[in-house]
Amino acid sequence: MSLPAWWTTDVCAPFTLGPRRFPGRIWTASGCFAYGLSGHDMRTDGFATPYEGIGAVVTKTVTPAPRSGNPMPRLCELPTGAINSIGLENVGYEAFLAEVLPQLEDRGVPTVVSLAATRPEEFGTMCAALQEAAAGYRHWHGVEINLSCPNVAEGGHDFGRDPDTVALCVDAARSQLPDRALLAKLTPNVTDIAGLAAAAGEAGADAVSAINTVVGLDVDLNTGQPVLPRRYGGYSGPGVLPIALAKVDEIVRKTGVPVVGVGGIGSLEDALKFFALGAVAVQVGTAQMRDPFAAAQVAAELSRR
Amino acid sequence: MKRINPLKALGAVRENRPVSSGLLRLDLELEGSCSAEAGFAPGQFAMVNLPGSQAFVFGRPLSILDWQGRRVSFLYRVVGRGTAELARLDQGSLVDVLGPLGGAFPRLADDQAAVLIGGGVGLPPVAAWLARHGRPGDRGYFGGRDGADVPWSQLEGAWQVSVDRHESIPAGREAFHGLVTDMVASDPELADAGRRVVLTCGPIPMLRAAARLAQQRGWDCYVSLEEHMGCGYGVCKGCVIPVLDEKVPTGEGFRNATCCEEGPVFRAEQVLWERYGALPTL
Repeated sequence: MSLPAWWTTDVCAPFTLGPRRFPGRIWTASGCFAYGLSGHDMRTDGFATPYEGIGAVVTKTVTPAPRSGNPMPRLCELPTGAINSIGLENVGYEAFLAEVLPQLEDRGVPTVVSLAATRPEEFGTMCAALQEAAAGYRHWHGVEINLSCPNVAEGGHDFGRDPDTVALCVDAARSQLPDRALLAKLTPNVTDIAGLAAAAGEAGADAVSAINTVVGLDVDLNTGQPVLPRRYGGYSGPGVLPIALAKVDEIVRKTGVPVVGVGGIGSLEDALKFFALGAVAVQVGTAQMRDPFAAAQVAAELSRR
Repeated sequence: MKRINPLKALGAVRENRPVSSGLLRLDLELEGSCSAEAGFAPGQFAMVNLPGSQAFVFGRPLSILDWQGRRVSFLYRVVGRGTAELARLDQGSLVDVLGPLGGAFPRLADDQAAVLIGGGVGLPPVAAWLARHGRPGDRGYFGGRDGADVPWSQLEGAWQVSVDRHESIPAGREAFHGLVTDMVASDPELADAGRRVVLTCGPIPMLRAAARLAQQRGWDCYVSLEEHMGCGYGVCKGCVIPVLDEKVPTGEGFRNATCCEEGPVFRAEQVLWERYGALPTL
């Protein structure tokens, strides 16, 4: 496949998003590559590390307090994707700042920290702590606020569904992040995603990431009950690609907010579809869980064109 | 133990055949230069998937029977869609391999002897340990459903066999009728006061029974646990095991440890058995 006629962006060069220059446009999605440290010693022919050519690792979401996550089973595989109910298991932002982020900096991994909270002001608290702990870091590029994790009982959803609350969360984070990129990750489980993107943009987000997982459920026919203990989970993988493309298109056409496309990307062709619609970068998610080199592979293919 | 860097490589099927009524053996020849000096430690596993566009959303975790350089072998049982597809692969078919993954069973001190207990498809890690590290005092016990379920050809050396149903035992073979852990408990060879360590892999009730027996006898016990997995390399947090941890910051007294990365081998006393594998389907 030769370079598509519409493709004019120099995809190999760094690009600017808000106050930062990112080294590339192919990122890994939050929750699909942990904190970016597991798998660092993986090897395969053709790549020095799984980070090769990657524009950013978006970390697993970090919350104000540590969370032990949901009971098993947490995953349900389908032919077209997977439904997860991990429950934002994470070490908490204090341990993350003390133990994880310095390692990412030492390894030179371009990093976007994903944050979630139950109250808007907590985004400000966490961003302030990040800014203080990592002020001199060269590879920490920004924050993605997770406004839409559908499997947390406290109501990640409610955050992400109301434009006013989205604006409050973005504003709280923006006020503490003068020189890093700020992204807001949006849920597709709404009727007006463009309205949410506009609210995020007006409140100061440099971009929105679209989409988070789609609410899903599977039934165990042996028991007649939902497979996941919490019934609903977040559906991701190849099956959500057309949903993500439609939501990205809606945001691009109705707002001027830059979009980082995410949802079902497993190949260069998938990524190019998002770029064709105007996405400024893309994130590889579920495919990264199967293959630690999935994002690196897409980045390598893109740079060969 | 020095960690062996996991690799991702294509493997060509050399052989894929039943070794008992329920177990299959998959032998692969890995391709690519990075696999030339690969290896494993007994207890580790690999994620195996179909290649390219045929791939399942997630690979299937198979415990490693042997891995030397480009040659890697697994034992597996058909339990669902993925393993059913693997069972259909012919010689020369390609699969994606990611491994070796996870931790291994420990090596033992000079004054310790191993009590290896394998149940069904839990055989590979303990058989691999015996083949790699075994010494004359170590003893292996395998439990199968019946004589046809036992992979007799894979049980060379110091193995004793038990079966749930005392039928289909091949001529010249012997098997204890009952639970494999009852066979271990009644073995007079283990009645002395020697320092022993149980290394075990198999169904959860068997693991619990093995852990109880070890506790009664004052032996250390390591269990290799099985879970449905997403990634296999610690990133998705989809395969967690509740382990006791007083220092855990959530204050719950336990934490969720990834079976794939922190396990699959755990000290039996670490595992919060009442929460493992016993969760209600709500």
